[in-house]
Amino acid sequence: MNELLGVFGSGPTATFLIELLIIIVKIAVIIAITMLHVAYATYFERKVIGHMQVRLGPMRVGPHGLLQPIADGVKLFFKEDIIPAQADRPVFQIAPFVAIFATLSSLAVIPFFDLFYLANINIGLLYLLAMSGLAAYSLIMSGWGSNSKYSFLGGLRSTAQVISYEIALAFSLVSVMIMAGSMNLIEIVMAQQEYWYGMYLVPQIVAYIVFLIAMLAETNRTPFDLPEAESELVAGYFTEYSGMRFALFFLGEYVGMIVMSSIAVVCFWGGWTLPPIVVKLIPPLAAVPGIIWFILKVYIHIFFFYWIRATVPRYRYDKLMALGWKILIPVALANVIATALVKFIF
Amino acid sequence: MTLKELINKALFLEILKGMALTFKMMCSRAVTIQYPKQRRRIYAGFRGRHAFVRDPKTDKEKCIACMRCANICPSQCIYISKKKRPEDGKLYLAQYDIEALRCIYCGYCVEVCPVCALVLTEEYEYSAYTRQELYFTKEKLLENWDEFAAKQKEETYFNKFWRPDGLDHSKMPKGKREQGPVPTRRVVAQPESAPETPEASEKKETD
Repeated sequence: MNELLGVFGSGPTATFLIELLIIIVKIAVIIAITMLHVAYATYFERKVIGHMQVRLGPMRVGPHGLLQPIADGVKLFFKEDIIPAQADRPVFQIAPFVAIFATLSSLAVIPFFDLFYLANINIGLLYLLAMSGLAAYSLIMSGWGSNSKYSFLGGLRSTAQVISYEIALAFSLVSVMIMAGSMNLIEIVMAQQEYWYGMYLVPQIVAYIVFLIAMLAETNRTPFDLPEAESELVAGYFTEYSGMRFALFFLGEYVGMIVMSSIAVVCFWGGWTLPPIVVKLIPPLAAVPGIIWFILKVYIHIFFFYWIRATVPRYRYDKLMALGWKILIPVALANVIATALVKFIF
Repeated sequence: MTLKELINKALFLEILKGMALTFKMMCSRAVTIQYPKQRRRIYAGFRGRHAFVRDPKTDKEKCIACMRCANICPSQCIYISKKKRPEDGKLYLAQYDIEALRCIYCGYCVEVCPVCALVLTEEYEYSAYTRQELYFTKEKLLENWDEFAAKQKEETYFNKFWRPDGLDHSKMPKGKREQGPVPTRRVVAQPESAPETPEASEKKETD
C-alpha cells in the first residue's frame, strides 16, 4: 500500500493528497452504494405495497421484476427534459440539484459502522438538521421556478410543513443529545452502549415516536404527502419537471428516507452496535460486522415508511399543521425538559 | 373527549389496527392473475366471440333466416337479408352480419335461436386493428367456430344458452328441445380444391 501511494512522494503535501484520495474513494463508494439502495428501495416499496394490497407488484422485467428499477432509470434518463416557457429558468434548473445535494451531503456524517464515515464532526446532529433544512429550499425553488399554480401551491405547502416539523424533529433529537452529552454521532452511538439494552429507544420512546412522525413529514411521505397530493396538486412541486430533473427529485426523496432512517438508527437504535445483553447471551453475534446490523435497522425503518404508506390515508392540511404545532412540538418540548431534569437530578 | 378516546389517540390504536391488517394482507397470497402466462378459468355460460355452429351434416351454418335474433338484439347489431331461391321459391339466408363492436354480449340471440345456430364462444382474445375485422360476416362467423372448435379438448360442445336453465323446455321450439351436443371436429371432409361457391352449396342442400 505504501509503495502504491509512493507516487505522491512524501511530506505533508503527499499525506494530504493521500487523504484526499481516500476520501474521494469513500465518497464514490458511499454514493454508489446509496444509489443502488435507492434504486432497489423503489422496487422494495412497490413489492411491499403491492403485497399489502394483495397484488404482486412488478413482475415482468427480469425474474420477479428484479430489473424494474434499472429499466425505470434508463427510461427516466433518456426522457426529454422539458422546461416550461414561462419558467424562471435558472431557479427551475438548479432546484433538483439543491434537493439531491442536500440529501446526499447528509450521508457524509453518518457513521455506517465502526470506523467507516466520511467526516467525524462534533456537530454531526446539527449538520444533519441543517442539511434537511437546506432541502426545503429546493422545494420552494422548484415551486416558484416552475411558474405553475400546482407547483407553487405544492412548494408553499411543503415549505410550511417541512419547517414546522423540523422543530419537532430537532426537539426529539435534543433529548437524545442531552442524554448522550454530545452532538457527535459516533459518541451518541457509544453512549448508548452504556445501557444493557444498548439503545435510546427505551428511555426516549416519546422522543422516538415524535421523531418517527416528524420523519414522515420531513420526507414528504404519506400520510403527510400533501405537497405532492396527486388528487389536488397533480404532483406538487415537481409537476413541471420531467426526465433527469424529475429523477433527481425522486432520488432526493429516497435518499432523504435513507438518511432519516439512518438518523433514527444512530440516535435511537444504537447504530451499528447490538445491545450488550444480546451479545452477552449469544457471543457469536459479536463477530458479525456492524454494517449488517446498521443496514438491517435502516431497512426496518424503510419498511416502516412503506407500511405507513400502505395503511394511512393523507391528512388534511389544517390537521397536519395542528398535529405539528399543538401536539408534537409541546410533547417533544416536555420530553426535552423531563430528560434535562432527570439528567440534572441523577 | 373521554379517557378511552384519549388513550386511543395517544397510543395510535386505530392506526396500529390498520397496520396489523395491512401486515396480515402482506402475508396472504396475492390475487393477481399474470394474464398472458396464467389465465382465468372460463366457466360455462361465458359470452365471448360470436360464431355460427357448423352443421355436421351440411358443413354449413344452420341459420334459417327467421330474424328472431335480429329482432331481439337490444343494440340492433345483427343484419340479416334473405333471398328467394329461383328454383323453388324458398327463402334462404343471403347475408348475416354481426357488428361485434356494437354488441353488448347479452346472449339473447343465442337464447332465442330456434335451431341453435348461433353461439357466443368462450373466445375472448380477438382485438383487432380495424373495425372491418370485427364486422363478422356469415363466412367469418363460421371461421370463428372452426377456430373455437379446434381449441376445444372435448369431442362435443353444448352451449348453456341453447337451452337455458330455469325455463320451461317443453315450450321451446323442436330444434331447441332436441339439440344435443355438437361435434367439435369436422365430420364432413374439406374439399381439396377451392371452396365451393354459395350457389353450388345451396344446390347441394336442396338435393
